[in-house]
Amino acid sequence: MYTDAMIAIAHKELADKLKSRWVIVIALGFAVFTVVIAYFGGATAGVTGFRRMDATIASLTSLVTYFIPILALTLGGGIIADERDRGTLDLFLSSPLSVGEFIAGKFWGLFFALTLSTLAGFGISGILLITKLGTGTLGSYILFIINSMVLGVIFLSISFLISVLFYERSRVIAVTVFVWLFFTILYDLGVIGLLVTTKGEISTGIVSMLLMLNPVDIYRTLNFLSIGEFSVVLGLASVEFPSYMRPVLLWGVSFLWIVLPLVLSYYLFKRRYVS
Amino acid sequence: MIELKDVNKVYGNLKALDSVNLHIRKGEVLGLVGPNGAGKSTMLKIILGIAKPTSGTVLINGKVPSEKDWREFKASVGYMPERVAFYDNLTGMETLKLFARIKGTKIDRMINMVKRILSEDILKRKVGGYSKGMRQRLNLAQALLNDPDILILDEPTSGLDPVGSREFYHILKDIEERKEITVILSSHILAELEDKTDRIAIIKNGSIKAAGSLKELYRRLKLPLKLQITIKDKDEVLEGMLRGLGVSDIGYRNGYLIASVPSENKLRVLSAMLQEKERFQDITIKEPNLEEVFFGVH
Repeated sequence: MYTDAMIAIAHKELADKLKSRWVIVIALGFAVFTVVIAYFGGATAGVTGFRRMDATIASLTSLVTYFIPILALTLGGGIIADERDRGTLDLFLSSPLSVGEFIAGKFWGLFFALTLSTLAGFGISGILLITKLGTGTLGSYILFIINSMVLGVIFLSISFLISVLFYERSRVIAVTVFVWLFFTILYDLGVIGLLVTTKGEISTGIVSMLLMLNPVDIYRTLNFLSIGEFSVVLGLASVEFPSYMRPVLLWGVSFLWIVLPLVLSYYLFKRRYVS
Repeated sequence: MIELKDVNKVYGNLKALDSVNLHIRKGEVLGLVGPNGAGKSTMLKIILGIAKPTSGTVLINGKVPSEKDWREFKASVGYMPERVAFYDNLTGMETLKLFARIKGTKIDRMINMVKRILSEDILKRKVGGYSKGMRQRLNLAQALLNDPDILILDEPTSGLDPVGSREFYHILKDIEERKEITVILSSHILAELEDKTDRIAIIKNGSIKAAGSLKELYRRLKLPLKLQITIKDKDEVLEGMLRGLGVSDIGYRNGYLIASVPSENKLRVLSAMLQEKERFQDITIKEPNLEEVFFGVH
């Protein structure tokens, strides 16, 4: 259901991010980041210059896994607390606007801000890379951009849940940092720990399941499946995935990672603010 | 029109509202009076459908509203919360356009009213540069965007200087003259509600202690009238006579003899005073004000 009120909220969120130059700064950051990695990525081996696209994607992936989640989490984490502190939350709630429209409006606005900056940043640098490297691996790069956008949207959705769960800005920040740390570092350490304690006897099916429980690992796996030999950079080369671990399944799980926190946010918001 | 029946609201261990029964009639101006933390804002939120009662019922036009009814009701309500900072990065006009869209209306409908509240020059400025008073005016303007039938004002003049406060009530009066509007006005500034409301509901510790017109309330509470006699010097004879007529709390201030008269003794005191008119220059009997009524309620 797209109502004018929902579009108005989404428009305001996007306009705020455009006016504050958030979108352009992030897009520029992504673009510069990509070109630097593409050019200097092989510097440790004493080589500079544009490398193969696959190698660039592998390097970008390992950095994006840290960068995009924190960006998305901070983007949406304070969305409810801010409205509450400003006193505007009661204005929204007293308007002929449903909770669904309110949350959806906020989400779509930030969704467009985040995906636009990701698309613009990696898109502009992608054009430069294609002029240097040709269109041979364009498909992998496009998939990398899509996967990066999906990763961002997943963490944006999680940030909405954080925002609904915690009233105070300071708590929101603390939980945001913890969630980021958990999904980008701690979770994988846990999986590695499990593999070590079980001496690697744990089945690949279980490992795959565990990877699907972490959106960052889903992102890594999706990029791994598209770049093949350079996946060693992602630390996944030694993993033999079961045949069902295909992009369609991973995108399906990603979709659930987007939808479930949003649905939970909706119900918790209703319970907390309209009860 | 709006009826609260045995409404209770509990937050954790705190009972914010305790068996509230209140009937708000169409077209009336109801003053909701109470100290900070008495439950005024909670009650307004329940009337608005933002908060739900822990127990009890809210009836809108005689029925328990469905989700759809609440939406329709909210479309007819203008709500001015106690404190709204709005968005510093938007201009006043952009803010109003945003809330007009959220309320499903267009600002053009109420542009003349809006420009009366905030000048065009102020509307073009970013809200970040607004004073507290300007933000409060913007708050009132947003409440009026949908040309509401019901106006809910939570401490509307807090932060306004006396001029702003007076202007606010002028605007409110204009709105009341233009159309039949129901107003629920919450405040702890008792003096300003006195002559602006049809009825007063006094809320303390989450429950309505008394409701009615000011006259009904002081009669019900049996509060004495205030006697003020303009007098040259202290007059013990007059004092003695007044005491004999049931007058109490006799004192002198700024050339006046001030005392309390039970309302049932009013005529007896006046006729007795007329017999002694050479002893004083003028006499006034005043009804209790809202402050006295408020403190008379326990």
